[in-house]
Amino acid sequence: MLGVVNRVLLALIGLALLAAGVSVLTASWPLAGRHAPLLSVRARRAHLHVEGWWWWAVLGGLALCVLLALWWLLAQLRRPRLATVAVDTGDGAYALLRGRALESAVAAEVGALDGVAGCRVALRGRRGAPALRVKLELEPHAVPSDTLAALAGPVLEHARASTGLTPLATEARLAVTSHRASRVT
Amino acid sequence: MRGPRARRFRSVRRIPAGLTALAVLAVAGLFLYDLAAVRAHRPGMGWRRELAQQLERQTPADPQVMIAGAVLAVAGALLLLLAFAPGMRGILVMRGSEVRAGLGRKAAGLVLRDRAMEVSGVRSVRVRTGRSRVRVRATSHFRELADVRADLEAVLAVGIEELGLAHPPVARVRVYRKG
Repeated sequence: MLGVVNRVLLALIGLALLAAGVSVLTASWPLAGRHAPLLSVRARRAHLHVEGWWWWAVLGGLALCVLLALWWLLAQLRRPRLATVAVDTGDGAYALLRGRALESAVAAEVGALDGVAGCRVALRGRRGAPALRVKLELEPHAVPSDTLAALAGPVLEHARASTGLTPLATEARLAVTSHRASRVT
Repeated sequence: MRGPRARRFRSVRRIPAGLTALAVLAVAGLFLYDLAAVRAHRPGMGWRRELAQQLERQTPADPQVMIAGAVLAVAGALLLLLAFAPGMRGILVMRGSEVRAGLGRKAAGLVLRDRAMEVSGVRSVRVRTGRSRVRVRATSHFRELADVRADLEAVLAVGIEELGLAHPPVARVRVYRKG
């Protein structure tokens, strides 16, 4: 979600900057010509004289820009995690499961897999559609496709069965512990 | 068990977005402050009078203006590139329909290097992992080079298969004699 917002805003700002640069380089609209001043006194008086309702419009626009930029900046710093998920207990009631508890339970199971040196699990997404993000650190001898199959198979099935969250979207990133080459002769 | 389609990972672009937001915030905030100050009958900041004078004096034929225009255009093109390119070039997409998984390029290189070191006759290996090609450069200290090369290719084919990538890279092997 944040990715889409970021990319749309970056594209719009990039387009505006590119258009401004090209219009300066080619001396085309809205500039008057190659040898005319960039902003003559007359044009400034005519268009940028800040008075009356126009002044309020400019002030409001700038204030909106500041607020939106602030929100956009703060949105980059947040890394939202899901605090709780609702688990259907089967008797018409719901239990609230803390996100951290689910995270540590999955992390314990993943960590017990063969060839996994360490892992970090984060529960993200929203209440209705939680998503797991797993970062795996593999030991040098591990086979990545086998580890992934083990994660996708028993571990996730267990998590889905015990929480009742059938569409538990999962994203995994695999890395291998850095180590030196050793020759076997 | 190949998934329906393996989508590439797309970067969230946190850092470029944060920097751009900071720049927009600074410029808009400066203008807002100055506008409010002038409205409150305080003298406007010097830089705005200076800017107005400059804009009045300079024409698009001036070299400084051209440089500024070029900088603007390049910055805009860069932001557009960041907006449309997927990014995350360091992560290779793995196959599998259940979990959307990615393997770091460095990790893939380490795994393949370990595999290559197991071939007898190989003394040292350097693996460079690209997005579609893996370049393996091995030095050998005994056995026929052609045999070592054939063994390496077989081992690497298995190794690449075991990485479980959606688009398995092609290995290019070169073997040299040490010394």
